[in-house]
Amino acid sequence: MSWDVFIWFALAALLLWSVGACFAWKDKVKPVYAFTFAGLAVFFSFILWMWIALERPPMRTMGETRLWYSFFMPLAGIIVYSRWRYRWILSFSTIMAAVFICVNLLKPEIHSKAIMPALQSGWFAPHVIVYMFSYAIFGAATLMAIYMICFKRSETSARELDITDNLVYVGTAFLTFGMLFGALWAKQAWGTYWAWDPKETWAAITWLCYLLYLHYRKARPDNWRTACIILFVAIICLQICWWGINYLPSANMSMHTY
Amino acid sequence: MWTKPWKMKEGFLIGGGLIIIGILLQILAGPVDWSCFAWPVNIIALIILLLLIGVMYALRKRVYPFEWMMHLGAAVPCIVYALSLTIVMGLCFQTETGGIPWLSRMLVFWPFVLIWTWMMLISGLAALNHLLRFKLKEIPFLLNHAGVFLAITLATLGNPDKKELTMTCYQDEVEWKASDEMGASEELDIAIELHKFIMDKYPDGTPKRFASDITVYTKGGKEVSGTVDVNKPMKVNGWKIYQYGYDVKMGAESAFSEFLLVRDRWIAGIYTGIFMMLAGALCLMLFMAPKPVKEERRDIQ
Repeated sequence: MSWDVFIWFALAALLLWSVGACFAWKDKVKPVYAFTFAGLAVFFSFILWMWIALERPPMRTMGETRLWYSFFMPLAGIIVYSRWRYRWILSFSTIMAAVFICVNLLKPEIHSKAIMPALQSGWFAPHVIVYMFSYAIFGAATLMAIYMICFKRSETSARELDITDNLVYVGTAFLTFGMLFGALWAKQAWGTYWAWDPKETWAAITWLCYLLYLHYRKARPDNWRTACIILFVAIICLQICWWGINYLPSANMSMHTY
Repeated sequence: MWTKPWKMKEGFLIGGGLIIIGILLQILAGPVDWSCFAWPVNIIALIILLLLIGVMYALRKRVYPFEWMMHLGAAVPCIVYALSLTIVMGLCFQTETGGIPWLSRMLVFWPFVLIWTWMMLISGLAALNHLLRFKLKEIPFLLNHAGVFLAITLATLGNPDKKELTMTCYQDEVEWKASDEMGASEELDIAIELHKFIMDKYPDGTPKRFASDITVYTKGGKEVSGTVDVNKPMKVNGWKIYQYGYDVKMGAESAFSEFLLVRDRWIAGIYTGIFMMLAGALCLMLFMAPKPVKEERRDIQ
């Protein structure tokens, strides 16, 4: 099965991303783009291969969603880099991608061709892809918040806040897409667009957290520490929504467990 | 406190007040009875809500709290309360009976309902405020706030009108009756004749496809034939017909197929809200994000 060769694709992609991240520290812009995009191409070709081999989108299991996360993290990193030239962002996004790749290598989940009828829908791919992209963007925003809280105790710069805000704006847009695509799909599959299923409840919670951030930043632009704390709460809620829900006793009846 | 201009503190106190009122209502009047919002009460409630928002807007110069409600000082505490109560909902197993008193039935818990209503009032007012001071650059704000208001308000008020019935059809028989979740059966304006239930499997035995070949008849004499698949419902006379179940013991040989029939007259309004939110989210990303700070400000670092 194609999963066996994952390690080689992953190592190649990680190597390319790492080289790209090193060039970022040396401010060599062109090699940064070349290596990062080469890594993304290598990684995406594996995803594409899985898609073809499985004859379905590789998004069903947690392992498969982690695959997308590992892909989107460096993509989010390079987008941030292209706009703000932050030297360290690609190193962090590469480390994040590596963590998720390791989880996939250590805990591979069975990837069979089977896909239950409930998931056979045109909404499946866009719903999962935009969600994973927003999760990756929020991951980057959380890194910014950690950086500001830990290394910028006295004063933070307008630029750092600006990056964080932009990430949250883009992430919230994609989170909204993911949630509403889910609602439109649910109407098509189950007859109801919103049923307060535990996964839906936690999706609403995550969404409210980021709405709170957006409103709070406008209400109190100077209290950036509180804004960072909102981001920490938000990322915890996001993790509960993504995978924590499977361990939550209140959610053992969820229709979203596959 | 309570001196102009009001800030967030007042918002937190009002939210706390709403929760206390909600708890009192819960004790005195019992849980929220959504079924009493069935047509035409819900349309009247919607009109009253819209009028209320209009009147609050008109009086904003004379009644300061209405002015304040349109601003972030009101929005932030309201989101904090809505978020906290929704987290409680996410942590407490939701069930019709048993569980934790009050918290296991959050959707009929007065404080939850009051806080979300408060949020709809605030977003409705904010939307109206931007609508009446219309400028092109206000469109993103308007799409987001009016979209949320429409989607959530209409979904909530319209829910008691929503019909969700299940119909069990045996092969080659025409069925006119369907039953609601309480088991009460009623005759519909459409009937379903099952020709064949279809179940395909993967080589490993997991199900690949559930579908039914059917013909739908209407009281008006219309006849529609087709296949209903999971994820591919059929629409006839305002009813959406979903593949819902089959005889699990018999599997592919099941002699009957179960359908879910859904009719929601409010769906057009709800979808309008959802599409406004989608457009609003696109605008959020493209136009509402703060512009990158200029070069000279980068020196701060």
